Amino acid sequence: MTAVRVHRLVVTSEGQVLAGPVSFELPTGATLGLRGPSGAGKSTVLRALVGLLPPPLKAEGEICVLGARVDGAGVDLPALRARAALVAQTPVVFPASIMANATFALRHVVRASRSALRERAERALVEAGLWDEVAGRLEAPAEQLSVGQRQRLCLARALALDPALLLLDEPTSALDPAARATVEAAVAGLRGRRTVLVVSHDQAQLARICDDVISIGDDSGGQ
Amino acid sequence: MVPLLVAALASVAGVALAAIVAFLVIGVRSGPLHWADLVLSSSWAPASGQFGAAAMIFGTAVVAALAMAIAAPVGWAAAVAIVELAPRRWQRPLRSTSELLAVVPSIVYGLLGIAFIRPVIATLAGVPGGDSLLAAAVVLAVMVLPTVVAVSADALAGVPRSTREAAAACGLTRTEVIRAAVLPMARRGMGAAVLLGLARAMGEAIAVFLVVGRADGRLPTSPGDVLTRLVRPGQTLTTKLNGPESLLAGTAGAHWAALCGLGLLLLAAVALLTVAGQRRSGAGRPGPWSGWRSRRAGGAMKPARWRLDRSVGDRLARMVTVVALGLTLSLVFTVGVVVLVKGRVALHPSFWWSPPAGASGGGIRLQLAGTTLLVAVAGALAAPVGLALGVVVSEYARPGLARWLRTLTLTLGGVPSILLGLWGYWLFSTRFGWGRSWLAGSIVLALVAIPPVVIAVAAAVAALPPERREAALAGGLRRHQLVRSVILPQALPGLVTGTLLGLARAAGETAPLLFTAAVFSGAPSFPAGIRQSPVSALSTHIFTLAQDSADPAAAEAAWGAALALVVVAGVLVSGAVGARRRMQRYLR
Repeated sequence: MTAVRVHRLVVTSEGQVLAGPVSFELPTGATLGLRGPSGAGKSTVLRALVGLLPPPLKAEGEICVLGARVDGAGVDLPALRARAALVAQTPVVFPASIMANATFALRHVVRASRSALRERAERALVEAGLWDEVAGRLEAPAEQLSVGQRQRLCLARALALDPALLLLDEPTSALDPAARATVEAAVAGLRGRRTVLVVSHDQAQLARICDDVISIGDDSGGQ
Repeated sequence: MVPLLVAALASVAGVALAAIVAFLVIGVRSGPLHWADLVLSSSWAPASGQFGAAAMIFGTAVVAALAMAIAAPVGWAAAVAIVELAPRRWQRPLRSTSELLAVVPSIVYGLLGIAFIRPVIATLAGVPGGDSLLAAAVVLAVMVLPTVVAVSADALAGVPRSTREAAAACGLTRTEVIRAAVLPMARRGMGAAVLLGLARAMGEAIAVFLVVGRADGRLPTSPGDVLTRLVRPGQTLTTKLNGPESLLAGTAGAHWAALCGLGLLLLAAVALLTVAGQRRSGAGRPGPWSGWRSRRAGGAMKPARWRLDRSVGDRLARMVTVVALGLTLSLVFTVGVVVLVKGRVALHPSFWWSPPAGASGGGIRLQLAGTTLLVAVAGALAAPVGLALGVVVSEYARPGLARWLRTLTLTLGGVPSILLGLWGYWLFSTRFGWGRSWLAGSIVLALVAIPPVVIAVAAAVAALPPERREAALAGGLRRHQLVRSVILPQALPGLVTGTLLGLARAAGETAPLLFTAAVFSGAPSFPAGIRQSPVSALSTHIFTLAQDSADPAAAEAAWGAALALVVVAGVLVSGAVGARRRMQRYLR
């Protein structure tokens, strides 16, 4: 089973090539690292996978995520994004409580009782390695958390959806070394249990947490 | 030397605001005034010494609230459609188009109310003439719509893109992203839009004056009566002040004191709304933390059983906002077409250049000359003051003082123009003995134009890249040298834009001129001095003709002058937009 199949993906902005061409496959259950220098378009590629390119950026080529053609007509992008959850480079927490942030996506996507939603969110907080630090103050504002904790809260928000695919965009680059270690540990803990695509410029980190690493932009880095 | 001059110019705005408050307080103290009677009694009979304004307070509150009840939902939804749903390259044109409604002077809205809204209410409610609180509310709703759209759109645009992306990345639909992530952050700013719109609606005199009926002492007798009262004539605080009583009351005694008391009430309400609105209007600032919680508990956390199918809800919500935007744009279109068609007499050049004739108008040569004189002098007065205050706010003042000065400027901008007019009448026409004088009119109009200049100058200076400023200071420049060679050139586009925008507003003002400067006929083509030297102006010309709406010739002349006034305001505004673009290119 392939979770992601990308064939000759090129991202352009008003005719100018920003990233690509890229081709790779991610088998279900594996953790794949996407490596490349700054500006090679790694994050852009990741966004193209779930149709989140900001205009005027356009993706060309074949993108198949969880069996759906992302560029095809009639694809239900919100439904796809709920199954292929993206965690961005800088953590975005909504001005609400920690629990409200953890259930933020769930409340819209999953039809279940309030207590069932909470239960799922709590499991996700455990999986993201944040539970021990926030268990006593779930109703406190999420803005009180440190950057490293926020990043793991965003991870938990995505994990709560129980996604078939997790897309991580430079999950530790915005963090200080101590926070980096905690987030890296959380991501490493997903290995073997989730299908994960990680983007990073840090080769050593990818080697530590991924089954396989491919690099993009090495030969077209001048653009 | 330079700082002293700047400080002196800048203090003009503060002095002006203090002078307006002082004028009202002096007026109140000039005669016996029972505040309790003024607020609670509804019987207004100057001849027998009864001054109860409860009915006017009721009228003001009902008209303003009703106007916002119409304008707020439409304006909010239109702003969402523009910022969240429209393609990016359409955003700017859509915003500019909806803001065209703000270019139209209030006197023209009054004319539109007379021609279209009054007849509709007369037919539907069976009220002869159709003068009513409801008519005033509908006119005001259209007038404040651009304010609601513009401030709400700013608040929405201030929400960072990463917030939208984070929500969309979780699989939320477009509508869910807006409802769950964007609106909670923009809520404060969108609330501010309503407060600012409400302030504008409460302070508006002219458009309301022409359609409200100006009937005193009409208070509902029972709760059920409130609805009936909506389609009956009424009175508001501004329309009372704008009426002939202000000239008949003298400038001391019980009657004048009661009118000044009305002015103080109005000023307090409008200033409060303006300050509260401005405090809240910061773009994209998240609302208070408690707001989010209650919202979550009330809505989104409910089990999903009752929810519409997601894609159906998405489409429905989108449709609502697009309809609101369509309504806004079609209002722009309708107002434009109506003014053009009804005012077609102004399409003949002879209308612009021929002198007025008789009671029903003729041409508008004198009015055009008068408005030009008033506006030009007002601009010459407002530009240096606004520039100085803008530079002080953004460069000299410490943060606390700067915030205070900003609030003061915005409050001055929110002062209902009828109060500016009464102040000018009291100070210049009466105390100084100028009578009707073009200079008094220009000074009052300058106060209308100063706040936009300050805001534009301060915004231009705030956009100065910090590196450039640091480089200048590193070169050993002193404060005033920095101001002269770095800050002032940076402020120039703001000065030009702000002045033109301020003058566009001033050109459309009617209420400040009625008692200070303008006469309908008998003004010389050029004033010879300051004392007793009135002018004719386009806005007051329309105002006088509009009250004689039974005469078709007068109506035709009024609409022609209205088209001319819209053209004047439009030229000033497009000049402002053009100047801004050009100078930005030059400075870059």
